[in-house]
Amino acid sequence: MKKILVADDEEGIRILYKEELEEEGYEVKAAANGKETLELLNTFLPDLVILDIKMPDINGLDILQRIRTMFRDLPVILSSAYPEYQQNLATWASDAYVVKSSNLANLKAAVKKNLGE
Amino acid sequence: MPELRKDPIVGRWVIISTERGKRPTSFKMTERPAVAGGFCPLCPGNEDKTPPEVYALRRDGSKHDTPGWTLRVVSNKFPALVIEGSLKKQGEGMYDKMNGIGAHEVIIETPHHGGSLSQLDLKAFEDVLWAYRERIVDLEKDERFRYVLIFKNHGVEAGASLAHSHSQLIALPIIPKSVMEEMEGSKNYYKYKDRCVFCDIVRQELDDKIRVVVENDDFLAITPYASRSPFEIWLLPKKHSSSFVNISPAEYISLASIFQDVLSRIEVALDDPPYNFTLHTSPFNELINDYYHWHFEIIPTLSKIAGFEIGSGFYINPTPPEEAATFLKEIK
Repeated sequence: MKKILVADDEEGIRILYKEELEEEGYEVKAAANGKETLELLNTFLPDLVILDIKMPDINGLDILQRIRTMFRDLPVILSSAYPEYQQNLATWASDAYVVKSSNLANLKAAVKKNLGE
Repeated sequence: MPELRKDPIVGRWVIISTERGKRPTSFKMTERPAVAGGFCPLCPGNEDKTPPEVYALRRDGSKHDTPGWTLRVVSNKFPALVIEGSLKKQGEGMYDKMNGIGAHEVIIETPHHGGSLSQLDLKAFEDVLWAYRERIVDLEKDERFRYVLIFKNHGVEAGASLAHSHSQLIALPIIPKSVMEEMEGSKNYYKYKDRCVFCDIVRQELDDKIRVVVENDDFLAITPYASRSPFEIWLLPKKHSSSFVNISPAEYISLASIFQDVLSRIEVALDDPPYNFTLHTSPFNELINDYYHWHFEIIPTLSKIAGFEIGSGFYINPTPPEEAATFLKEIK
């Protein structure tokens, strides 16, 4: 079973993503901030990370930098409510950028694509 | 007393302080936010993190999308406009709309992370200018596009999000309003005087000398009479030329030389300030004409645009362009 780490400071998003992705057959763990995300990266060893950009302690783009230093090829999907971050070239270190929406079709498609399914 | 000065091309008014202007040291910042460090998707070895290259210079015969390049152009990974599809122009009541079609590309100017344009060797700088030309010529063939905007954001405050030196290009299905205003202003001037307004500016500035920062055989760098911003610089060809793509290979060398000189002067005078530059050139449907003159506009990010500027279209410039030119001219 492929493992997905969801990092988002909004509880509602964490619950929604976890439920929906578990229904798709993935094992999912969620982190509420940057510190938890970095811990789970090393203990949960996910196959893919869904990463929020605006988080209270460590900015998602900074976490992305750290992920790339540790796990260069680990697929990372940035998920943000703010489409303007797409113009930030630091997002290029990720593999996909999905604007948050209650419709998870785009997110699920990006997950499948980046897990090679 | 301050002066109200009018830009002769678009008629934009600027309030210029004629008191002792703000000097370069007034703009030096003690602390400047750093762009993201660590992993860089634009560095050699990370070609898999960018879309495939649409143009590259490789002198070692290396394969595309692998290291070995000296300059690389790739599509924007998360573009503001998309390349596929038709424009599908339509009305929505009294409003107009069309599909968000366009090309959004990133020109990676050097393989070396952290280097700036002013530090490139002259040939590498010339390659950047040549890449701009090659991409414009290629995109011009696409009938959906009417204009290619080339711009660079240097430094976080100017909008740069990575330290790796790069510029950007957006091909648009419409001519931007600011370009339209310049074209219309130039046409009107030509209609009444039968001369190109930019050619007149070049002539007068070469005569007056007080706003000339530097010149060579082919080009002239000036702080324009109605500068919107402190240390704004325009880089213009001395001879009339309506389109950037039509200059000769020798002129690209000459342009690279003066452009690098100007950027170095700005960096020394203002302690490597954030800046933007944009290429202003004729739209595709009027590439060869007698009234418009392509040029680069370089604007250091030293003042903020706020309610007054947004509401009035006026700018307030605390440094007279004559003083800015004098400061920059003295830099060795």
